Amino acid sequence: MLRMQGFGYRHAGDWDEALRLWQDNPGAVYVAGGTDLLPNVKHGLLAPKVLVGLSGIPGGVVERDGDLVIGATSRLDVLAADPVVRRLVLPLAEAAASVAGPQLRTMATLGGNVMLDTRCMFYNQTEFWRRSLGYCLKAEGTWCHVVGGPKTCVATQSSDTVPVLLALDARLRFRGPSGTRELALRDLYRFNGMDHLAVEKGELLTEIVVPLPGDGFRGSYTKLRTRDSIDFPQLGLAVCGTWEGATPTALEIVVGAVSPQPKPVRGLDAFLGRTLDAAAIDAVADLVHKQTRPQGSVHGDTAWRRQMAAVFTRRALGALAHAG
Amino acid sequence: MKSLLQLRVNGEDLTLAVPEAWTLLEALRYGAGLTGTKQGCDKGDCGACTVLIDGKPTLACLTLAHSVRGEVTTIEGVSTPEGPDPVQRAFDVSGALQCGFCQPGMILSAKALLARSPQPTDAEIREALSGNLCRCTGYTKIFDAVKLAANGCERQVPVRYGEPAEGFSVIGARGRKADSIAKATGEAIYADDIRLPRMAHGKILRSTHAHARLLKVDVSAAAAMPGVFAVVTGADLPTAYCVIPWTPDETALAIGKVRYIGEGIAAVAAVDEETANRALAAIVVEYDPLPIVKDAEAAIAPGAALVHEVDWKGRPWENNVCKEVDLAFGDVPAGFAKADAVVEGRWFYEGSTHAAIEPHCAVAQWSADGKLTVWSATQVSHYLHRELAKVLGVRTEEVRVIQPVLGGAFGGKSEPFDLEFCVAALSKKAGRPVKILYTREEVFYAHRGRHPMDMHFKVAGTKDGRITAVESDILVDGGAYHSFGLVTTYYSGQLLTGPVGFESYHFRSRRVYTNKPCCGPKRGHGSVQPRFAFECALDELSDKLGLDPIEVRRRNAVVAGDRTVNGLLVPSTGLLACLDRVEAASGWKERRGKLPRGRGLGVATSMYISGTAYPIYPNDMPQSGVLVRADRSGKLTVFCGANDIGQGSDGMLAYVIAEETGVSPDDITVVSGDTELTPVDLGSYSSRVTFMCGIAAQEAGAAMGAKLREAVAKAWKVPVERVKKGYGFYADAEEPGRQVSAREALVLAEAAAGTPLSSSGGYRTRKVGGDYRGGTIGASPAYSATAHVCEVTVDPETGIVRVEKVWAAHDCGRALNPQIVEGQIEGSVYMGYAEALMEAHTFDERGLHSGPNLLDYRLPTSKETPDLIAQIVESIDPGGPYGAKEAGEGPLHPIIPAIANAIADAVGIRLKRIPFTPDRVLAAIRAGGV
Repeated sequence: MLRMQGFGYRHAGDWDEALRLWQDNPGAVYVAGGTDLLPNVKHGLLAPKVLVGLSGIPGGVVERDGDLVIGATSRLDVLAADPVVRRLVLPLAEAAASVAGPQLRTMATLGGNVMLDTRCMFYNQTEFWRRSLGYCLKAEGTWCHVVGGPKTCVATQSSDTVPVLLALDARLRFRGPSGTRELALRDLYRFNGMDHLAVEKGELLTEIVVPLPGDGFRGSYTKLRTRDSIDFPQLGLAVCGTWEGATPTALEIVVGAVSPQPKPVRGLDAFLGRTLDAAAIDAVADLVHKQTRPQGSVHGDTAWRRQMAAVFTRRALGALAHAG
Repeated sequence: MKSLLQLRVNGEDLTLAVPEAWTLLEALRYGAGLTGTKQGCDKGDCGACTVLIDGKPTLACLTLAHSVRGEVTTIEGVSTPEGPDPVQRAFDVSGALQCGFCQPGMILSAKALLARSPQPTDAEIREALSGNLCRCTGYTKIFDAVKLAANGCERQVPVRYGEPAEGFSVIGARGRKADSIAKATGEAIYADDIRLPRMAHGKILRSTHAHARLLKVDVSAAAAMPGVFAVVTGADLPTAYCVIPWTPDETALAIGKVRYIGEGIAAVAAVDEETANRALAAIVVEYDPLPIVKDAEAAIAPGAALVHEVDWKGRPWENNVCKEVDLAFGDVPAGFAKADAVVEGRWFYEGSTHAAIEPHCAVAQWSADGKLTVWSATQVSHYLHRELAKVLGVRTEEVRVIQPVLGGAFGGKSEPFDLEFCVAALSKKAGRPVKILYTREEVFYAHRGRHPMDMHFKVAGTKDGRITAVESDILVDGGAYHSFGLVTTYYSGQLLTGPVGFESYHFRSRRVYTNKPCCGPKRGHGSVQPRFAFECALDELSDKLGLDPIEVRRRNAVVAGDRTVNGLLVPSTGLLACLDRVEAASGWKERRGKLPRGRGLGVATSMYISGTAYPIYPNDMPQSGVLVRADRSGKLTVFCGANDIGQGSDGMLAYVIAEETGVSPDDITVVSGDTELTPVDLGSYSSRVTFMCGIAAQEAGAAMGAKLREAVAKAWKVPVERVKKGYGFYADAEEPGRQVSAREALVLAEAAAGTPLSSSGGYRTRKVGGDYRGGTIGASPAYSATAHVCEVTVDPETGIVRVEKVWAAHDCGRALNPQIVEGQIEGSVYMGYAEALMEAHTFDERGLHSGPNLLDYRLPTSKETPDLIAQIVESIDPGGPYGAKEAGEGPLHPIIPAIANAIADAVGIRLKRIPFTPDRVLAAIRAGGV
């Protein structure tokens, strides 16, 4: 079997201890659920000296001052079933429930899903395989096999929950060596698969803050994948809005799993206050299609994945417009 | 960095000194010796390592052992001193355990589900198990098991619990498998569960080039590393071999040249796997890259590089075609001339692999007196035995091969692999036992899976629905070596001539070498691909002729006693009954062609062999031998070389011996797959086991039964004809109430004989097949027949195909245990469904596999797998044991063309390339669907 070696493990009981352990152990890396990190270690993609375990830090969901504050170590299976999450932001529960398979969801955390490394079919492979390939830009090599060039890494942000969180305009709370800070989720991701997170070394994501959308909120998350379980998304589409009947007064659409950066769709304001009839829905779908440029770092024909963004948009809006 | 780990496992507090980098899986298996938790994929893709932590299903392979704070439950903690847990028994009784390798994890997921939802819905069951991949069952019997468990299942159930067929006491009854409760409880020992004192761990260095000369292989630094016990290279194992003795083109490790990415070059044995990995990194290999032959088309292109320069006799190869078969039967030109319609097209079958959840593993030990024992996850102990002796240069009597419980095979473990030779050679050099366990990636490189085939077909018919001519030209992409390729090349043509027959036939098949992992036999060896092309063409032909496709198949059905156009004698066939069953069950007549757009029905048929007629190496000895030994405690022990690979051949042997002797199957122990203890059986391949071992067992059982009857007659002082065999007893036909138990009969017989009781039986080669060169390849003593109808939905906007339901009727001659036959049908349909819709064993321009792991190579989960409705048809073959024929491979074939034909019914497109991925489907719809 693929074996790991050469690192120590330190178990943190709370965030302060986690930060201290990180500071005391040069070369330390945080691990929460481990479902993304450990395969990467097994593949030789990173070689931590010490792993600082966060799995003992309790998560939880609290409603506070118009926000839903979710502890970063909250497990995805718990969030998917949480009655408050389901009542107030159902698409987040749907997205959490669509991640990987059942066992992974009992292990994986929401924080981990937000901080997920980017993925690529040329990157998430064994050291042997990558050596046979000649490596890639993101690890040990100089060439991106997806775009066929030496400059840009387009490994994909493949989280299912992030498109929904973005559509809800979530904020993140970090604790790090230089104190605590809050960051809008929309400012977290960069278009660089090799370095896609705007965070500082040693920073810990401690809370995800979701502004509660209020009355008339309806949203959904649709995931494109080959199998109905286990698979990462080939495309993820979050639609969140505030509705009066079939008329949105607020509308956000975010496309995930297309590039290092999840893609919020621009220009939706034009549709606010309009009844979303078939023609309007087609127009939104066209907008989404135009702005969605899936990278080939994920399996499936890129043109087809792009078309699916439009189909998913039509279907999601059709369902949401008529759900009121 | 080892440190003390405190774990609470199954209610016990364990303290283990294990490295901090170890996962819970390693701590459980290698630290605590709890080997019931299985390892299948290395990295969280398969679910075999599922344990419960505080009641929640968790993947042990992605959980750091030192991070665990909760209470761990493994499969060993599920049963209690009172017996197996009702969930474990429900899996056993329902036939949910075939190879059993995924089942500890599956059972724990089921336990967790039932704890939170005691009466789960079907959807909840599918969801809860969707992180546990099963490769054997198609999940159907697992769903049954969970429902049975929800309603309570007895902890103790006899082996035979259903009603037998009329006139029998065991045959035809639903029953448990011999070993399934051991599998359900984690007791069963698979190859990687073996740990011997002083055992070293081996690893194999593999080529990173698809085609290159080896300029240098320097192992000196690796050999000098502390903790390294032995290193071997190709030079240590120079003898070429092949499972087919006519084409020995392969050595255990590459010599002089490498021919695919992943080919073994050198192997090391070290104190542990981590040290062995470091030693591999210290081996220096210099390559001189050569042009790559990337696929079959490139292989036959003028000027193509040669994958092999010379053959096994030193004769130069002129091109990469390693086998060509060109055979014609009947008047083909006349067949086309009289046809009213001809369908011609080119179909392409992408390669696929077996992906048994258990990776290959072997352990070798040389005893102090110079004898070698190899435990290996093999489905051909006997062939492995022969090849090991040959390659190691020792006498066969110095080698013993033992097959432990096997975690799935499907043809993927049906010839020797590099690890078996390497553990033997390393163990000799190191002077200690050596184990090698493949990583999941290595399993993909070992491959020997389904050949990609580029198939040109012409099928002609007349207005009355007669098929007058079939012509094919098939290019078979063989990969780097021969393997079973000689047979594959024949099978690609020879096995197409039934159960739907035709008047004339010409096929040409060429198998070529390419720089990819070697292809071989996967469930439905050689014939699944052309079956796809032919059954699709036949559907199109039916359309052209304006006839119902089921009716066309009926009109051309081969009849029992017929010889097919290529000379195969078909003693029995249940094709018509199969067609009737699926036609009725699916509502075919009312619904086909009349469903709303996007929904469709499709049909296809197939036949398959019940064993190849002749052994792989010519000899006059029995192809299967069975010994029965009686024990005065009332037990029988059955010895047979057959390999139970999860299909249940041990159980089959027990049922047959029970039927023949009157001894209850609960009192029969089967010892199999051990070359030292068991008489030779050639192994589990070509669907031969039930037919051939079944006949050998019948003969051995009948001989034992005769001894028991005679002894009882003698004791009762009555003529032997009066003694009648019952289920567990013998009775006097003329004196009601007078009976003795089978156990007492055994005691009487041993006393009468004055020696321990034993008996034996064999299956002797029968002369069958056509009277021409190659006419025996594809010939079998009996052929199964299968018909499937499936219902699909096709989303015309996304191209996504969902297979909703499959009605699969299979003629297995007689179902010795219907539950196991259903399991074979369901598992076959599942595997074909996977090939049709998602699996693709593909390579890039470098010859690099597109994703050799179980995340990129997608096996269907419990959620999308269709409803599988298995129906058994019994034609009672005149030559089979109680009339039985094969059931494990035939039912795979029709599902792929049935899906293609259903898609045609749904949206009017004819797909000619698998897998039917949504992008391809959508492109075809837009290019000209209706």
